[in-house]
Amino acid sequence: MLHKRIFLAIIGSSFGMMTAGGVFTVLLAVGLIPRFAGKTHTGKKVLIYENMVILGTMAGNILSVFNWNSQFEELVTGQFGIPQQIWGVFAQLLLVCFGVFAGIFVGSLAMAIAEMLDSIPIFARRIGFRHGLGIAVIAMALGKMAGSLFYFYQKMYLYGGL
Amino acid sequence: MENKVVYIKPKRNVQVKTEEVFFRDIASVTCIDEHITAKVRALKVHHFREGTEKRAVISCLKLTELVQDVDKGITVENVGEMDTLIKLVKTSDAKGTLVWLKIVFVACISFFGTAFTIMAFHNDVGIHDVFARLYEMTMGQKATGITTLEVAYSLGLAIGITLFFNHVGGRRITADPTPIEVEMRIYEKDVDDTLIETADREGKTIDAS
Repeated sequence: MLHKRIFLAIIGSSFGMMTAGGVFTVLLAVGLIPRFAGKTHTGKKVLIYENMVILGTMAGNILSVFNWNSQFEELVTGQFGIPQQIWGVFAQLLLVCFGVFAGIFVGSLAMAIAEMLDSIPIFARRIGFRHGLGIAVIAMALGKMAGSLFYFYQKMYLYGGL
Repeated sequence: MENKVVYIKPKRNVQVKTEEVFFRDIASVTCIDEHITAKVRALKVHHFREGTEKRAVISCLKLTELVQDVDKGITVENVGEMDTLIKLVKTSDAKGTLVWLKIVFVACISFFGTAFTIMAFHNDVGIHDVFARLYEMTMGQKATGITTLEVAYSLGLAIGITLFFNHVGGRRITADPTPIEVEMRIYEKDVDDTLIETADREGKTIDAS
């Protein structure tokens, strides 16, 4: 048994290291966090952002690799004796926080990938478009929002978008 | 009169705090004649007027012209950049609660964004199925609860990220800059290039007349 466990431990940690390399190369290649730091003129605090990236990934990993299935609620309300209403409000706040910031991140990521592949400049050049880039950007943002709302409203996640 | 050579090395990107921009702010200067060096360093290069743009692009030809105005017998050798981007920054917006709010904002995006990304990735690749199959193949029985594989994977992920970002907390593992610091410089360079080229195209570069 033990040698099998050791084998699992070795391949498991190799998977983890390779995943870290792969996922973060993509995230960094599109240069999202430098851009946020540049926009807010907080380039000196890059170390904080990197630590948040590390912590965020670890938190996401722990939440998704291990099966929690409503154990949090039981743990907080049962073990620690915190009233359900208070935890409910707190959980809602946490969800709103998660939703808003994860949304900003994914939205920026999508546009950064589109930009890295030069799709927008090429498109703009082909159709010879000089003015109205601002309108195009707003249209894109509204389109993404409409698409996202439609996706959740129509429950597309249940049957793969068809 | 003998011919004197003045070497100038204009910087690419300069941030100034006052409206008056002097030669010493944007370029390093050297010459055999110290008198000329001092004179050149004190030359006024640009003046930001009230209400105008807080950015200016200066061509090295304009600098050459300014230096030659000091003394007609000077030869100027440029060993630095062709164009210099000058930004006027007010010292007041460099600190305060607003900056901390911005930092918290970006930190939140980094935290929740990457948490979401890794969860979406795990969901995409169906990590539970993969791990369950692997566990069954190796151990010959179904996995119950948390297994070695998942714990090892999490540890590996932590080690991988730490090695990738090259620091634990505030301590660097090696003296190299971290990947985000490198990206930050690349981004800055790209922005500078764009600003300089835009100024050139719009004819706003301050050039020799």
